Amino acid sequence: MLRHLTLAATLAAGLLPAAALAQSITVYTAGPGDLADAIAEAFEAETGIRVNVFQGTTGQVMARLEAEEANPQADVVISASWGSAVDLHERGMLMEYVSPNAAMVPDFLKHSHYVAQGISALAMAWNTQSGTPRPADWSDLAGPEFRDLVTMPDPAQSGSAFDLIVGLEAARGEAAWELLAALHANQMIVPGPNAAALNPVLQGAKAAVFGAVDYIAYGRAEQGEPVEVIVPDSGTVIAPRPMMILASTANPDAAKAFIDFTLSDAGQALVAETFLMPARTDVEGRRPGIAELTVIEVDEAAASARRDEIIARFNTVMGR
Amino acid sequence: MRRALPSASALMTIGAAAALLVLVALPVAFILLQAVFPEFARGSLAGAFSRLPMIVEDPRLLTQTRNTLVLAFSVMLGCLVFGLPIGVLRGLFDIPGARLWDVVFLIPFLIPPFIAAIAWMMTLQPRGYLFQIAGFDMGRQLFTFAGVAFVMTLNLFPLVYFAVSRSLEGVGGRFAAAARVSGAGPLRAFWLITLPLSIPGIAASLLIVFAMAIEEFGTPAALASRTGFEVLVTGIYNRLSDFPIDLNGAALGSVILMCLVLAAFFVQNWVATRRSYVAQTGKPANLDKAQLGLWTVPVLLLFTVVATVGVVIPLAAIVATSFMGTIAGGLSWDNFDTRHYQPIFRAGSRAAQALVTSGWLATVTAFVTAAIAAAVAVVVVRGEGRGRQAMDALSVLPNAIPAIVLAVGVILAWNSPFLPVTLYGTTAILLVAYAAILLPYPIRYAVARLRQIGGSLDDAARVAGASQPQVLGHVLLPLMAPSLIAAMMLVFAIASRELVASIMLAPAGVRTVGTFVFAQFEQGSVQTGMAMSTIAIAITSTILLAVNLWLDRRGGSAFSG
Repeated sequence: MLRHLTLAATLAAGLLPAAALAQSITVYTAGPGDLADAIAEAFEAETGIRVNVFQGTTGQVMARLEAEEANPQADVVISASWGSAVDLHERGMLMEYVSPNAAMVPDFLKHSHYVAQGISALAMAWNTQSGTPRPADWSDLAGPEFRDLVTMPDPAQSGSAFDLIVGLEAARGEAAWELLAALHANQMIVPGPNAAALNPVLQGAKAAVFGAVDYIAYGRAEQGEPVEVIVPDSGTVIAPRPMMILASTANPDAAKAFIDFTLSDAGQALVAETFLMPARTDVEGRRPGIAELTVIEVDEAAASARRDEIIARFNTVMGR
Repeated sequence: MRRALPSASALMTIGAAAALLVLVALPVAFILLQAVFPEFARGSLAGAFSRLPMIVEDPRLLTQTRNTLVLAFSVMLGCLVFGLPIGVLRGLFDIPGARLWDVVFLIPFLIPPFIAAIAWMMTLQPRGYLFQIAGFDMGRQLFTFAGVAFVMTLNLFPLVYFAVSRSLEGVGGRFAAAARVSGAGPLRAFWLITLPLSIPGIAASLLIVFAMAIEEFGTPAALASRTGFEVLVTGIYNRLSDFPIDLNGAALGSVILMCLVLAAFFVQNWVATRRSYVAQTGKPANLDKAQLGLWTVPVLLLFTVVATVGVVIPLAAIVATSFMGTIAGGLSWDNFDTRHYQPIFRAGSRAAQALVTSGWLATVTAFVTAAIAAAVAVVVVRGEGRGRQAMDALSVLPNAIPAIVLAVGVILAWNSPFLPVTLYGTTAILLVAYAAILLPYPIRYAVARLRQIGGSLDDAARVAGASQPQVLGHVLLPLMAPSLIAAMMLVFAIASRELVASIMLAPAGVRTVGTFVFAQFEQGSVQTGMAMSTIAIAITSTILLAVNLWLDRRGGSAFSG
């Protein structure tokens, strides 16, 4: 009986247009999926506003937004790439909102139209049982000990890997490209997005990821995988994850409440739970924070403009 | 009563045509408009035709096209090698446990291709399961063109197996028996009579293999990027998933894909229609299949080898991974852990919802597509004139576009602000997409089957006083039933794990098995993704097994004509 009720409820909930439910908002979010669900549940419990979550990669979220441009469905968007927020804002698709809870978010992580939910950093993810020496700097992965044992996320698919190349270029100039060429000569593979780069390292087929998204690797380490997250002292880039309200929203108040909640103590604690750095400086993370990292500044707008050129050069260097 | 008859037939024609127009032609039209007008999605007709020359000028598109063709042909050959022998044996001989083998060879359809690719990767790569068991790895072989073609073949060879075996069953032993009586040896009878008569079925299945091979996304995405070759579909996906999105480039790539598949279709159609393949004339067929005798053991060995490579190894890798505490822990009892199943079995969890959603979506899709396909087949094979040709062309269209692009077409078509009511944003839009994506299978199966059923049967029934609906209900439908049911099982299997369209179209808050697994692999835990796959495969196999047992219980005669 219970099963039938559940089935009926699922059917009804699925077939009703979201708008028909009195108080609900639709959130399109890049991963992690557990975080999106946890925040949605906590928000629903506190406000009674139902949250319909669509979770995908940043690319999928942006593809959906573009395809739905004529008839937007989402109220709130959370992306894993700061550049996508800049772009949506330039196209006039965002609503201005500064949450009162954003007071403790540092200035470089907020804007009149968008604000960081949390931050990840780019790192090396190293399999401690791989029999290789612990790498300390990016360039160690180009050494003979790591021949045929390194993976890197594809910058064309992973926005953060793209940011890493831009950051290394900003910090080192041409030497950054020489490093990538040396990695290629060292048989580094570029198998796809972030998970595709990390998974061979977990099984031991490879020993280290060059440019792993740190919170995913921390999460795997917590599950017992022998993977260590190493952030080189020479510097890395961070990837803040922007939250924004679409100008087309029919529920601006509910959408604002959702942003407020995500930036509240409870919301930021959930963010910290997934090993992301919380956006608020007064909420403690479960891993080293920005202050403990050497952060390379990246000019997002300039990098976005050079995107095609950088990807093309990367592909040339990788012999693709 | 007599007067109502033509209108019943006309109603069926109109209904089938309307279904094809709404489900298929509408999204295709929007994609073509997008290809011609780069700014179409933004509501502008500016720059018409400006980007069409890209089709022949863009070197990347050309390379992708070549790669796609070479891969699709390799997979077609591979599927013949894997699927044809066992299909022929299953169709002509009494194989012990025949229905069970059918279910076994349905399993590849239940495994999401990218999960299968990951399973092979985790098995063959350095320090993979093969290395852990046997001390050597085959990473070098897997990450090559041949490796990708091999894994794709394992996903698709059952199509040939099912089409060949059903087709040969349709042809029956009767013609071969006639040939034997006339003095032909068994091999000669097979080559001259049985095989030629089953060509429509084989050709149809090869067309589907070809279409699926060039449409397939999961395997090339997981493996091909390691080997450094891009195919059209991964190219289209990258254009749609890389920021900024290139809808127009994706539409252009789809136009090339459509041309490739349409060409394949015309070849298949030419093969299927240049001669008459009528094999079902209503005369009592000899349903007893030949006995294998001494060959029983070698044949069973062959089935076992194919099943081991095609089903057991990938399935074992998936199940084993789902029970691993840590990936690094590998295949060891110390590492056995069920904790990755916990999030799935928690009451009211999103995983449980995903299972329910995919289950009813796949069921409804199977019935809807079978109903449309039966009507389309009757019109295409028995109908006359222009309506028939138009219907024939319409019915192949969904074959010609990759699911991801059809999904974009559905979004563009159904998300227009001018529509007063739209299904977009509801779960029903998934039904629309699934039906459009999966319609080709029941249509091809039903058309190929109906071509083998002689028109004299209809005439006989009409002479005997049956009305047109009665002919349909009592003669044609039961005769088409084996093919339709096989196609429905295929549709159910594929729909229950459909991924690409689900990602693009599932409304916020609705998850399917495919999107849940994909999200686990992207963001959650590999083991939970594999656990969900294991559960979904188990449930779907059980349902398919039950259907097969029920068919057995009904007795072959009700369905095999």
